[in-house]
Amino acid sequence: MTSTPTPGPAPGPDQAVSERLLPERRQINWLRWATVTIIVVSVVLPGVSLLLRSFAFRWHYPDVVPGEWGLDAWTYTIDDTSRVFESLGNSLRIALLTTTLALLVGMPAARALGQHQFRGKRIVEWILMMPIIVPALVAAMGIHIVFIRLGLTATVLGVSLVHLIPATPYFVLVMSSVFANYSPALEETARTLGANKIRVFRYVTLPAISSGLLVACLFTFLISWSQYVTTVLIGSGILITLPMVLFPFLGQGNAAVAASITLIFVAPAVMVLILTSRSLGRGSTVMGGFGKV
Amino acid sequence: MTLERRQTPLRERLKIPLMLTPAMAVILLLFLGGLVAGLMQSLGYFPAAGLTEFTFRHYVDAVTDRNFLVSLWTTFRIAFSVTLLSTVFAVGAALVLRQRFPGSRLATFLFQIPLPVPHLVAASAVILLFAQSGLLSRIGAALGLINAPGDFPAILYDNASIGVMLSFMWKEIPFVGLVVLAILQSVGPQYEELAQTLGATKRQRLVHVLLPLIMPGVVSTWIIVFAFTFANFEIPLLLGQSFPTTLPVQAFREFQRPELTSRPKGMAIAIVLAVITVLLLIAYRRLARYSRST
Amino acid sequence: MTDVSLVHLGRAFGNKWAVRDLNLEIASGEMVALLGPSGCGKTTTLRMITGLARPTTGDVLFNGSSVVDVATERREAVLIFQQHLLFPTMTVAQNVGFGLKMAGMGKGEINRRVEEMLERVELSGFGTRKAHQLSGGQQQRVALARGLVTHPKVLLLDEPLANLDANLRITMRHLIRSIQRDLGITAIFVTHDQEEAVMLADRIALMFDGTLQQVGRPDEFYRHPRTAGIASFFRSQNFLPGTRHGDVVSTGAGDLAVGHNVAATGDGPVVVTARPETLELSNRPGGENNLPATVTSAIYMGTHTQVFVQLADTTWTVHAPPSVTLNTGDQVFVELPKEHIWILEDDSAAQDGR
Repeated sequence: MTSTPTPGPAPGPDQAVSERLLPERRQINWLRWATVTIIVVSVVLPGVSLLLRSFAFRWHYPDVVPGEWGLDAWTYTIDDTSRVFESLGNSLRIALLTTTLALLVGMPAARALGQHQFRGKRIVEWILMMPIIVPALVAAMGIHIVFIRLGLTATVLGVSLVHLIPATPYFVLVMSSVFANYSPALEETARTLGANKIRVFRYVTLPAISSGLLVACLFTFLISWSQYVTTVLIGSGILITLPMVLFPFLGQGNAAVAASITLIFVAPAVMVLILTSRSLGRGSTVMGGFGKV
Repeated sequence: MTLERRQTPLRERLKIPLMLTPAMAVILLLFLGGLVAGLMQSLGYFPAAGLTEFTFRHYVDAVTDRNFLVSLWTTFRIAFSVTLLSTVFAVGAALVLRQRFPGSRLATFLFQIPLPVPHLVAASAVILLFAQSGLLSRIGAALGLINAPGDFPAILYDNASIGVMLSFMWKEIPFVGLVVLAILQSVGPQYEELAQTLGATKRQRLVHVLLPLIMPGVVSTWIIVFAFTFANFEIPLLLGQSFPTTLPVQAFREFQRPELTSRPKGMAIAIVLAVITVLLLIAYRRLARYSRST
Repeated sequence: MTDVSLVHLGRAFGNKWAVRDLNLEIASGEMVALLGPSGCGKTTTLRMITGLARPTTGDVLFNGSSVVDVATERREAVLIFQQHLLFPTMTVAQNVGFGLKMAGMGKGEINRRVEEMLERVELSGFGTRKAHQLSGGQQQRVALARGLVTHPKVLLLDEPLANLDANLRITMRHLIRSIQRDLGITAIFVTHDQEEAVMLADRIALMFDGTLQQVGRPDEFYRHPRTAGIASFFRSQNFLPGTRHGDVVSTGAGDLAVGHNVAATGDGPVVVTARPETLELSNRPGGENNLPATVTSAIYMGTHTQVFVQLADTTWTVHAPPSVTLNTGDQVFVELPKEHIWILEDDSAAQDGR
């Protein structure tokens, strides 16, 4: 027998319904609360304390907020004697050159690893990924004497070449997972439709990989930007980068100056984060790549 | 009749090798070349300092130095603690952050912040917060918990290297956490829902379903974090005590002495450092293969 | 033995109802198909039965007692997903034994039951393999074994056959049906494929847009659909609108005498439908319910000729004998036998809504 249900007037959720409305289970999730609190505190507190410190003129213990404010630290920081501007320029030049070189050498390899199967692939992956595990410092120490002989020490090129050691593996790692998620069938379709190789790259490949490429480049930039000991070594103490100016202030120097230089030093990282937060966030292939090293 | 096979053009056959050449050249020349050059120096072949005789003397020197074992232990202890604690906190954070709740997107964004931030910045922040006259000490004083800076626990330049570990963990927890988060999101909630209908309680789902699923990724990041912490130079130099220090600091100090003849010893320490990480890598590969085959 | 009752069951997301006031009784040992197009709320209904989704209104009863406050893991309602979802880190045997292990059963007993169950799904000897070493069909059988080994009260299947190819689907269908009957488990499965529902289910519950449309034996959906929307979901193509006055329906092609096959209540706008194989073509007028029509095309199908005719301003399909040859534009008469036509409520307004 056909039973014919009679739904009657459909109750909207905002209306009162005659049937029992079940309350949603609500319980305070302590683990969630604790986690979120720790995250917020551990990010906000350092930022706030750096800002306070850099604008503090007098900050006696135990005041939580500076007693007197001032721009002295910033005035010193932007003055030529601090060498902040000089080192900032060097840091930028080195990081940009490193990124460019990593892009040039890394793209073809990333594509080969991401899209092709070939004999010896595992060995190639092994070799290319080794600097992620084996410290670049050791290689830099070994190669130092060679760089002296080649006149590469204390040059932007020399320092960039050493920064390439940790930068290349990360670039290849990120880009090969980008290429692995991108189907070459799109390119083949474009070829059959009469596009030449350059046009295929320009109109098909590049748009598909551009966001991954941006992430890879920005992170390569930051790897170089953050390098300290390898720069000290190959820069011979003559080519000064920003972390090298910052370092002595962190030891026993003026804490306010240390805070203001730190803020300049962290600026590119914050900008990168804002640019890439979408691609790093939920369901990211970029971070997932590290899980497969 | 035999069919004549068409030859694959040379360009086709060389395509993959050519694509790999630039990156391989960088790694082989700069990285492996550097390691080999370093190995030669550590073995006593260092013409620039007038040394041309191969010898294990520098290794013996380095290893028998009474600082060596203490430094090795310190380095290992820091790296191991940081890796273990970071993994535990990161997995916990990832399990919370994958849920949707009001503010979850913002919390995830904040969680990512330390990832691109240089380690020196982390050190700088730790100094400002945890020094005995730092912000936390001041907050403690304002709350009446302590009276003087000396009452605040000394965790910078300390025996236990707590300041060093805090700086590392500030950076590494988000790194491991985001990798785990990415894995959890690609897995989705379905395995857990399935296990739940099969009678698995919350704890059983965590132990029998989630942890096995994220384990391979966690072990990968575990290796990266350990190796990184093991070889880092600036954080222990800045926040650790001057003795005993860590192996990278010790190696670099020897290496940077004005007299070139002490370089081989520094190099020997550095090579030991590299060998330990290589052994670690091989052990991991074995482990990964073993866990795949069973 | 468990019977399941869904009482005024509903789930809202914000202001939108995914499932609305659903009432359904499922007898112990019965197999019911929840059928409907994607997004109609059938999966949500299944999730509410398992406890993975919490109902906004109403209740789920197992053997007459409410289970909405029973946690999923204690409900003994097993859900089998469309993607087999075998735990990738476990062997086949570990997968099948998962539920028993969670219940704290001893190793020996687990092994015995797992082996028994693997035999039942024709996978003896596969216990030590890993999921990725199995074919799609084998994986689905493992998923089935894993779900049934704990002897759950209710078996719920979410599009269990959707990822399998046509041949595998037939064998899996038989397997699922025979195991479910042998074990006497109450089963509810979700599908969007009306053929699958017809072949597998004792009864079908059809849902559109979060609302239950019709519940009944499979054949009733073909012979006596309640609305034109339901009929067209069951691949019916012949619909002629008209107005009913007692035993007569006036349509654009002429008046039709109506028998007892009436779903619509009272006079007013209705839709007339009939299955293509019950219709007859002739080239002369006369007789009851013989309406004039124009041939638009005729396709030879081997066992019959499928003829499309224009009837008033609607297109009807008629199955004529294979020997019939007709050309586009031929004038014919379609006989709609009184006992085979079916008068539906005009639900064109409701159809627009989905």
